[in-house]
Formats: sequence, C-alpha cells, structure tokens
Amino acid sequence: MRIVVCVKEVLDPDAVNNYAVAGRLEIGADGKTLTQTAIPRLMNGYDEQAIEAALRLRDAGAEFTLCVLSVGSDPDKLLKHAAALGAEELISIQVDPATLDPQATAKLLASQIQASGGAEVVFCGRQASDDDQGVVPVLIAEHLNMSVVTVAREIRLESDALTIIRATPEGDEIVRAACPAVVTITNELGEPRYPTASAKIKARRVKPTIVTPAELSLSAEEIAPKVLLKQQFVPEVQGNCEFLEGDAAQVAGQLLEKLRAEGTLQ
Amino acid sequence: MSQQPIVVCSFGEGRDGLPPGAEEVLHIGRNLAQACEAPLMWVILGPLPERASATAGLYGVQNLHQIDDAKLEANHTDAQVAALAAYGKAQTPQAILVHQTLEARTVAPRLAARLGGAVVMNGISISPIGQNFEITASAYGGDTRVIYEVGPKPVLAFIPNAVIPEPGSGSAIDAEPFAVDLSGVEERIEVLEPAHFDGPRLDDADIIVSGGRGLGSQDNYSLIEQLAEALGGIAGASRPLVDDGWVDSSHQVGLTGRITRPNLYVAIGISGASQHMAGCSAAKTIVAVNRDPEAAIFQHARFGIVGDALEIVPELIRAASAG
Repeated sequence: MRIVVCVKEVLDPDAVNNYAVAGRLEIGADGKTLTQTAIPRLMNGYDEQAIEAALRLRDAGAEFTLCVLSVGSDPDKLLKHAAALGAEELISIQVDPATLDPQATAKLLASQIQASGGAEVVFCGRQASDDDQGVVPVLIAEHLNMSVVTVAREIRLESDALTIIRATPEGDEIVRAACPAVVTITNELGEPRYPTASAKIKARRVKPTIVTPAELSLSAEEIAPKVLLKQQFVPEVQGNCEFLEGDAAQVAGQLLEKLRAEGTLQ
Repeated sequence: MSQQPIVVCSFGEGRDGLPPGAEEVLHIGRNLAQACEAPLMWVILGPLPERASATAGLYGVQNLHQIDDAKLEANHTDAQVAALAAYGKAQTPQAILVHQTLEARTVAPRLAARLGGAVVMNGISISPIGQNFEITASAYGGDTRVIYEVGPKPVLAFIPNAVIPEPGSGSAIDAEPFAVDLSGVEERIEVLEPAHFDGPRLDDADIIVSGGRGLGSQDNYSLIEQLAEALGGIAGASRPLVDDGWVDSSHQVGLTGRITRPNLYVAIGISGASQHMAGCSAAKTIVAVNRDPEAAIFQHARFGIVGDALEIVPELIRAASAG
C-alpha cells in the first residue's frame, strides 16, 4: 500500500498575522506579494497534520510506503522534515509556484501521483494557510477519479476502506470511504509530532526525486493558470474602540447601559 | 456582453424556508447579472424550500430550476456533482455562484473541473472584466485581500456568509423542474453517523458570546455559556479552544468554523487573530474583554474592557441578569 501526502510551503501565518495586527504588513512593489524577509517559510500547518495522520495509521499497525510530494522551486527543507518524520519516498515537482494556480497545481500533483505508481490514500491539509482556497485536494480526487472526504480529524484504515471522523460545523460526522480516496485533514486532528535528532540525521540519506512539469506530459494548456493574482492589499480596520474604565462592576454596568441605550440590547 | 446566464446554485438543508446563504448569494448574483446584462438563474438541488419561489422574485431571478432526485440527499456529493454538471452543460452559464458551505466546498471544485472552468473560494465581490471576471477574496486568514482575474468561463465563485442581502420587490416565480439522469451514479462515501446539531446556530444568532484562551482553563468556559444565556445569545469559541478540546467544532467562530454576523458579538479573552475575525467581523457591534490593552481585538471592537475575564464576566452576567 502507498500513501501520498501533498505538502506546500507557505509564509508562517502567525508571523503574517503579527505583522498585520501591528499594522506593519507590507506588500511589495509588484502590488501582490508579501515581501517581508523576516517572515519564515515553513510547511503549511494543515499539511504537517496530514503527515501526522499517515504516521498515526502506521502507529496503529498499517503497513505502507509513505510518499511526500511537493510542488515548488526549493522544497529541500520541507522534504527533509518529511523524511525525518518517516517518509520513505520524497518527490519534488520543480516549478515556480508563482506561475501556478490551484487548478494547475492539482493537475501536476495528480499526474505525478499517477505516474509514480498511484496511491491507495492521498492525504492533504484542508487548505493552505496563505491563499485559504482548499480546492487542490478536491481537484486531485476529481482528476484521479477518487472519492474525497474533507476535514478529517480521526482516521481508521481497515484493509481497503477508511472510517473517518469529520469535524464539521454541525459536529462530528462518521463516514466510510472505499480506497482509493483523498482525505483532507483539519486542525482538530491535533498536534503533529517532531522528528527525533537521530531521525533527522538518517533523513539526510533520503534523496528527493526531482520531476519537471515537462516529464509529466501535460500540455501547456492543462497547467495554464485560470486564477491570476493581480493585486494583494491589507484591509483597513476602523479602530474606534471606546475603552470603559472603572472596577469590574462599574465597567460591566457601563457596558450594559451603553448597549441598551444604543438599542443593541433590549 | 454575453447573454449567457449567471447561475446561483443552492443546496443543502435549509432553514427558515430557504437553503443556507441563499439570499446572500442571490444578492451578489443579481448585481453581477445586472453588470453583465445577463439573465439570473437559480438552481436548487433537492426538495423546493418553502420560500424559494417568493425569494426568487425579490432578487430578480428569471428562471428558478429545481433538480430533485432520490439520489440527491445531503452529503451525496457524487450525485450532486453529476446533477450540477448536467445542468451546467445545458445552461452554459458564464458564472456560477455558490454559498460557501463545507458540502459546497467538496462539490463545486469538481463541478468546475467537469465544466472546464475556474474556481475561487472566499469571494467577497465579483465583477466582469473583459472576457473574464475579477474576484476579490480574502487570504492569509483575513490578513489580506487578493484580487484575482479569473477565466475562462464558467467561473465558480464561493460567497461566505458575510454579505448583507437587500431584497428588492417582485412577484413569486414558479419553479421549473430540470431532469437529470443519475441512474449511473454510485455514491462512494457512506455516511455511518451523520453530524447532527439541534441547538440554535451561530450563523443565525443575534447575540454571540465567544471565549478564547484568555479564559485560562476549560472549567471557565461555563462563564461564557452563562453570559450568553443572560444576554439571550449563544456561546461560541475561538479555534484554540476547539483545538484543545474544550468545546466541539460546532462552536468555532472563524475562517475554518462559522462565519457569523450577529448584532452583538462579545469576545472574551480572544486576541483577535485574523482567522477568528474572519468569522465575526461582520457583527454590528463587537465588545472585547482582554487583559492585553494591545490585543488586536480592540482594533475591531466598538467597546473595550481591559481586564481579567474571570473578574469581568461574572459582573457582566450580574448586570445582564439585572436588566
């Protein structure tokens, strides 16, 4: 059995948020890219949890080859981390991510999964924390004619089917999907593990297979972006907060009075 | 300008006699249809909700279509994709607008692939530009906005809950059935235990009181529930509380949880990360209680109280109950 996990490198969303909250998030001269070099690049958090989901299946006794697959120009750090966590197979599709959109990315990933021997299960993060689109996993499933189950927080593998607990806004839902299937992982899965020091050293021996889009026999049209980023900006926040002063009882009283006077509360 | 229609697509279990988010998407669809001088169509999967015909009239819908089939049950995404793909091929819309639910997020990208179109989530506005569309969407959990040029058609755009719909006037129109053949579709996902949520929904709530990590410990979440009750609202939470298992995911307000727009949103011990604000920034009035006077939440709040939630909230409960 082969399990493929797709991972993406993103700007650390917490650092982006800190800059945004401090009012110091800047967009570069091209009008569309965040250029602050102080913001670290790391593996999309949900994708890290997707690797964790696979490792938990292994903890539970499942036997499979774990392949971690990435699209990008410099995936070394990402893939080394995956190897240290236990991935036996690393694949890097070398392409400038700025030339792609989610649809092109999904085409590349799906073609590579197929060309490299297919997969019984594909795990992906529920969305990338940069563009928040979350369409790549669904499109991979569509291209590979697999079923797709989103927002999984717990997975059991039983021979050729998966039982999955989905963390939906309506609460937990339990579904069963026959393999092959694409499963997206949500934050409710819990903290991903860290690799041990010895695993990190051993991981240096696992070399990624480098693939170019040309090797995947996809036409230019198939990987032409349909969603072009034209502009990015930081939305303005109004910031007219009226701070209430006094002890706890006083501020509570003032607040209720003001909300009632405004008609917000009856 | 092309006369290919703008299609609003609704599915999923409705409330108040309409599918979820229908009016928000119809509002955007009406404006887009006007800008494109194109007809507006509305397609509903499953049984026709009670208020659909009347609402179609209020938003200038020319054709209301209903696709009903025993296979189109909730979560039967293979059947939903097949039905909408057949519909899309017949109507050749230039844009399909969808309310962004979890279910829609599974269906619509596949629909886009089958129709050869493009798809964008988290859309805030959409307008025509040349042969394409321009869509403004949120990114980085709400920290930034992005403007995409999207084509070729059909373009599928997802609209989250943060639009305030403005119905116009117009008389009800009758639904026309649209027949599809789903006999060849076999669902690949079997629902063993459906999620079911009986309580009042955050999406519809007029007053929400949400708690975050500033509460200190899980036991203190009961203060949030008490304050919500005293104010006649319902209790929500920020993502860290859900991640830590203090409350289940049905309580989560934010980008990956519920997108709400109450009259009053009370944020207790919530820092105001953009991921959270994406779920409540459409609230009319935001009140924040936080120990840190520099917390981002105060940038969004109308009223702020700097202090310890455990001291302030019991007083708020008292004051609210005294009202």
